Amino acid sequence: MRLCLLLGIVSGILIGQGQNRFPLGEIPPGKILLVAQPHHDDHTTDYGMGGVIARFVEHGYKAYYIRASNDEKDGANGYPRNDIINLKETWNGIRILGMEDVISLNWRNDFMNPIPLNELREQLIFLIRKYRPDVVLGHNPWEHYQKNPDHRNVARALVEAYWLAGYDTVHPEHFKLGMKPHAAGHFYGKGRLDWGLGQISNVALELNDSQVRKKERAIAAHRNVYHNPGARRAMQARLAAMGMHVPELDAANDDDASDLILHWWMNWISRDIGGKAGVAYAEDLYYMDPQYHLPGLKAYIDANARKAPSE
Amino acid sequence: MIRRRFLQIAGAPLMGAAAGKTMLVVAADAGWLECAGGTIAKMTGEGAHAILVRVGNDEKESWGLTPEETALRNRKESEAAARLLGIQEVISFGYRSSELRDVPHTTIRDRLIFLIRHHRPAILMFPNPHAEHDRNLDRYYVGAAAEDAWHCARFQNFLPAPSHGGLAPHIVSEAYYYSSPVDPRRREPESSSTFVPQPIRVDIAELFARKLRAAQALRTVNRGTAMRLKQSLEAAGRRLPLLDTVNDRAVDKLVEENLRGLAAMCAAGSPYKLAEEFRYAGIEYGLPTKYLR
Ligand SMILES: [Zn+2]
Repeated sequence: MRLCLLLGIVSGILIGQGQNRFPLGEIPPGKILLVAQPHHDDHTTDYGMGGVIARFVEHGYKAYYIRASNDEKDGANGYPRNDIINLKETWNGIRILGMEDVISLNWRNDFMNPIPLNELREQLIFLIRKYRPDVVLGHNPWEHYQKNPDHRNVARALVEAYWLAGYDTVHPEHFKLGMKPHAAGHFYGKGRLDWGLGQISNVALELNDSQVRKKERAIAAHRNVYHNPGARRAMQARLAAMGMHVPELDAANDDDASDLILHWWMNWISRDIGGKAGVAYAEDLYYMDPQYHLPGLKAYIDANARKAPSE
Repeated sequence: MIRRRFLQIAGAPLMGAAAGKTMLVVAADAGWLECAGGTIAKMTGEGAHAILVRVGNDEKESWGLTPEETALRNRKESEAAARLLGIQEVISFGYRSSELRDVPHTTIRDRLIFLIRHHRPAILMFPNPHAEHDRNLDRYYVGAAAEDAWHCARFQNFLPAPSHGGLAPHIVSEAYYYSSPVDPRRREPESSSTFVPQPIRVDIAELFARKLRAAQALRTVNRGTAMRLKQSLEAAGRRLPLLDTVNDRAVDKLVEENLRGLAAMCAAGSPYKLAEEFRYAGIEYGLPTKYLR
């Protein structure tokens, strides 16, 4: 969604200071990553996961993006054109990250509170059974003070779809199409650190320069919402009101200024999280491993599980 | 995040004795037992009259069975498990498990208000709807409805029709919020003990064997859990020797390890070896401590 970029950059320097350090995680073994979010730009955005997606792809994963809404509200072109432009720019963004495909579910943007959530969940279960991901990446349904109904509800539907897709008692009609139950092993949820008590992340994934560059470019691909006429002048005026001046903006046109600010923002947030994890760049997530729901068995499994004999 | 000092309230002194009291245990699914079974056994052992309300029908929790067969077996096995804990009555609403988002909040709430007014419990137990990171959202929906019912059962303008049939408002004086210990912030104290249930631990060491027998009676659920665990380990190239052959003995052993692990987790940082943990709302919940002194 549209950002209040300038305020974010200025105030963001203060946000999150004093946070606990994040443990660094590794990319789990696997081949398929399924990312499900409500909107065209949620693969990246300010708190986003574009860098992590790029890292999974560079690690050898094939990655797919589910856009649950139709994004008709995002942009100044009226509902149908916004939908078409935002979908096209989703493609531009996910290609930069190295993803394979966009699956658009087209639920009405910002009207996802009253939808039958089990119907959305069924769509996600179907797609999990079709793509058989090792890793599911989405929004953390327990993020505090999430005001956007699309984010709340896609997150809730996804966290249930992620485990119910493995049950043969759930939507057995899917099996008529030759599908089989599939329990995705790993769930990563994204949230913001700077809303209310914020997201309590339990892992950070390190990013390299290339992944941060892709993240910067992926968000900038969403020109319909992030490129505004007058962006440079508006930003300079707001900076001046705070007694600040950024020389790089002087020579930039509006398009370039929008891009510059997006790049700075993505770079700053990646560095900020990286600093909390003791590396140059990172993104933080809430991670649930395949046995997360069985906390009582964790110690027993750790002590007794063996490597399976290879077939 | 500001790390506030962990406030630990020793369970026993604050909680009321259970003898002669009626308790209503509200469950979203079969998970109630591993969260609260020891405490329920302790209370029934002290003379409490316990009633279990199963909101969901557990129709998904099996391995290789149809939803209908699964629901029937899980109903019978939940009743057997409840008996082993000393629960006198089991009421099954029969709503389809993992589909509870489709059931209106007020429908579940009002059915629970009806039961609270009819049975007039002193103790109510229900899933903590404020707990985070439990992917089974039925627990959130049922917990929210039960918490609402606890609050609303005392007001005469709820359930106007049954009120004319003699169902008088009722205040439940003690509430236990239970949850699976997956929420990393589950023990953080809230701002105040007034109107906010506080973290407590209950020593279940003496009741553990009874809780275990009851949990092992949930054979259909347990077999599903064992098979899915085996499958997920295999997907990661691992195996548990215990589950090389998934028979009753192996499943029972897995249940024991799970309950021991949970009880040890819940006891960590307390004087107990095996415990259950709750958020508890007793007398301090509605009456600030300064007035109690
Ligand atoms: Zn969004």
